[in-house]
Amino acid sequence: MKVRSLEDLEKLRGELLAGGRHKQVMAVCVGTGCVALGSQKVVEAIKDEIKKHELEGEAEVRETGCLGICELGPMLIIYPDEISYFNVKPEDVSEIISKTIMRGELIERLLYRDLITGETVSKVEEIPFYKYQSRILLENNAKIDPRKIEDYIAVGGYSALAKVLFQMTPEQVLEEVKKSNLRGRGGGGFPTGRKWETCRNALGKPKYALVNCSEGDPAAFKDRALMESNPHAILEGLIIGMYAIGAEEGIVYVRNEYPLAVEHMELAVEQAEKMGFLGEDVMGSGLSLRVEVHRGAGMFVSGESTALMSAIEGKIGEPRSKYIHTAERGLYDKPTNLNNVETWMNIPLIISKGAEWFKSIGTESSKGTKVFCLVGKVNNVGLVEVPMGTTLGDVIYKIGGGVKGGKRLKAVQVGGLGGGFAPEGMLGAPLDFDEMFKACGSMVLGSMVVLDDDTCMVDLTRYFEEFLSEESCGKCIPCREGLRVIHMILTDICNGNGREGDTEMIRDITETMGEASLCALGKNATNPVLTSLQYFGNEWEQHIREKCCSAKVCKSLLNYEISSKTEKRD
Amino acid sequence: MKTVNLKIDDKEVKAEEGTTILEAAKQAGIDIPTLCYHEGLDTYGVCRICNVEIERRGRYQMVAACCYPVEEGLKTRTRSPKIDKIRKTIIELAAVMAGEDVASRMRVLASEYDADLSRFRSRVPLESTKCILCGLCVRRCIEANWDSAIGFVGRGIYRRIVLLPEKAGICSTCNYCRDICPTGRTCSAFGPDPPFTKIDDALAGRK
Amino acid sequence: MLLICQHCDYKWDYQGETEHYATCPRCRYKVKVPEDKAHALRQKRLNLELRSKLSLKEQPVKLLGIAGIVNNVIEGYKYDKSMLIQILLELQKSFGWLPMEMLLEVSKQLGIPLSQVYQVATFYKAFSLAPRGRHLIRVCMGTSCNVRGAPIILDRVKSLLGIESGETTPDLKFTLDAVKCMGCSALGPLLVIDQDYYGSVEPEDLEEIVSKYK
Repeated sequence: MKVRSLEDLEKLRGELLAGGRHKQVMAVCVGTGCVALGSQKVVEAIKDEIKKHELEGEAEVRETGCLGICELGPMLIIYPDEISYFNVKPEDVSEIISKTIMRGELIERLLYRDLITGETVSKVEEIPFYKYQSRILLENNAKIDPRKIEDYIAVGGYSALAKVLFQMTPEQVLEEVKKSNLRGRGGGGFPTGRKWETCRNALGKPKYALVNCSEGDPAAFKDRALMESNPHAILEGLIIGMYAIGAEEGIVYVRNEYPLAVEHMELAVEQAEKMGFLGEDVMGSGLSLRVEVHRGAGMFVSGESTALMSAIEGKIGEPRSKYIHTAERGLYDKPTNLNNVETWMNIPLIISKGAEWFKSIGTESSKGTKVFCLVGKVNNVGLVEVPMGTTLGDVIYKIGGGVKGGKRLKAVQVGGLGGGFAPEGMLGAPLDFDEMFKACGSMVLGSMVVLDDDTCMVDLTRYFEEFLSEESCGKCIPCREGLRVIHMILTDICNGNGREGDTEMIRDITETMGEASLCALGKNATNPVLTSLQYFGNEWEQHIREKCCSAKVCKSLLNYEISSKTEKRD
Repeated sequence: MKTVNLKIDDKEVKAEEGTTILEAAKQAGIDIPTLCYHEGLDTYGVCRICNVEIERRGRYQMVAACCYPVEEGLKTRTRSPKIDKIRKTIIELAAVMAGEDVASRMRVLASEYDADLSRFRSRVPLESTKCILCGLCVRRCIEANWDSAIGFVGRGIYRRIVLLPEKAGICSTCNYCRDICPTGRTCSAFGPDPPFTKIDDALAGRK
Repeated sequence: MLLICQHCDYKWDYQGETEHYATCPRCRYKVKVPEDKAHALRQKRLNLELRSKLSLKEQPVKLLGIAGIVNNVIEGYKYDKSMLIQILLELQKSFGWLPMEMLLEVSKQLGIPLSQVYQVATFYKAFSLAPRGRHLIRVCMGTSCNVRGAPIILDRVKSLLGIESGETTPDLKFTLDAVKCMGCSALGPLLVIDQDYYGSVEPEDLEEIVSKYK
């Protein structure tokens, strides 16, 4: 059945909300991460138990996307009471059904235990991890099965699209997005409204709108989680964008390493077409819009926009010079608008709740919230969404629950491969595009890796440069050769063969790379090295001069001494 | 076509819209050094030697002259201590794989910018291939024969140029690849000493 | 076919059979043949070649062997050149690896230079130009997994199977790959065998997990 107008949509939503309101729903995360911890088996066990106790009319299981604290997965939330259980195993399921579902009793050992007070917390919103967040993009994850378009419509989906098609002109949509000051969430931080305007005013047909889900940064999985959990929200944002820009073709580029995200997105496109939100005559408005899903083939640099367009054209992912913006000449030399998954997801909210609401969240220069992954040596590892302006310290201590094992915080790595290290003294820095750029040289805020004293900064820098040297496309001389030399010098330092003058050589190379590289990868590849030298220079000195690794990580620098004295130990 | 006015090294230059700074400079008689540029082939922009400093809306930026299109009122500087240092470092970096024993254009540039070709090579000794991967030979071969006999393979630091034995038949020993090479590799695709690895050998040695 | 030279606007009736570039008789500029005409010429040539090989009469011929496998996939993507990566991904998935003959066929049937096909096949990590084992074991070496002990897992698997990263066991059962970030950083170290994900693995569990696939 096709939805042809706003009234059709409202009627459908009413029907969907009326049925199943009385049931108890168990939302279990079956994103890639939780499946790796065995959540699929938990779902099977629940289905078996429901059948065993004949509870089909009163309880059901909902397979959802990411619910938050990935470390404590598999995770389960029971609605409508919002009770959350962690570390659920298939063996626990019969107890959950018999005690909590049938009798309303809580199972103590599966509840969240506060790390400081030791008390258990049953409601999701009272757990410190969730209390200090502002989950406007992620809050619907528990209420939606990503493979069912009906769930998305029931929570209010596609209303923004209906509003845009029937009550706003493309220029009005552009104005609203510009007014909201939304900035690109992929790492460039470029004002989205301005990019859309340039693309709209450029000459050429057909115009393309691209979704960039080729998250290559190690330790970042926010785009995967967003696309696996709620593909329809991204699709709705994309369609609104295509209407505003005047593009007829939309392409979603997803990494091959995210098979579940590809599957969910392809299914979402198919379902949207069947219901009339895509294809010929979208919602009865007369427009024809097409969306395709493209799979990547395994490269990091495809996060760069011109490299991504090159990959879609069937060539190798080599960036090209961006002196002429891709908004004017991009894919197949036509005007192309590329935005990150998270940016597209913000669009339906801006349209339905208004630009003024969006501007009320965040700081002066960065509005809205930021989704990122908090990983590393922190207690609550998972997917986090906070308003812009939250300080790094708040994120790590209030939301993350502090450093694992009570150890000392050494540094936080922000911004993935092109980002830098922020030492303990910079924990007061707010999450803001311009502030982060000043602190560590890059605006990419996809992941935050917490490091403690057991990490060797020089070894970690070596790891980053090794990754970059293999993932660089190898086209231009400064980046390719520069990374080759820096990586070899760092390997020497970690093996105890560091020489005087190594740091000066590295500084010279980074200066050249920063100025002369073709694309942002080469320019930002210097950030890990430079911030590491700036804040942890003493460790470098130790490695080069004293041939000693204080974190005891670099194997070649460890000396084992067997003491000839035997001591009495208590 | 519209004509724009720009300034290159304090010299007023007129150029057609759509040309690059490099072409405009050449017409005005100013020489910007290049390694991977050839007027008969599409620009590739990989050597980054042609970097010049431009001033735009009060901000200074370094751009590749072979790719940047001319704009009305652009102010460009082709030589300065910073630019010279960057060009010198790029040549020294290119020498890491190419080796000290290069000839032709690269040797000329190295002496002009006083580059010490063994600066980085002494720290990280590697086998020298005499190749800076500028791609001129590949682009020339593609332009001459649509289905070229040589091509790039690999990515990042494992990138190199290989010979495709299946296409050996179309290699007409025209020597275009030898004539255009900026480091002076003295052999063409087919010997006397084949400089390009055959692809099977290249793949077997790959991780 | 009627061709127009972009350089000197000369129109002439081209009688040759090239699928790529024709030389303008007036200014010697190389004029590109339009794609639809090139496609028709290519089909005609492929058909003629195969028919003469099998010495068959005027009948539509079904391509066999590797050429047939490639043709099925390419037909599914309607001979679209920009789908080269998607085509190779599908061939890699169904065949397991990309032999030399397959790349030659892709180049011939799609009308793309062989050097470009090779360039794409060696650039992306998803493609393998050597035979792979029946089961692909991937150990994640992303930042978070690295910090949580992934190198130890990798060493253990290497010694269990007796091969280095990137190699295949002699009995062609397993291929080991150390990959950079599969997107599950919250539960490192991560081990993926085929489509099965194992999060938070301990070195002690490895032998049991791997033996499930033997």
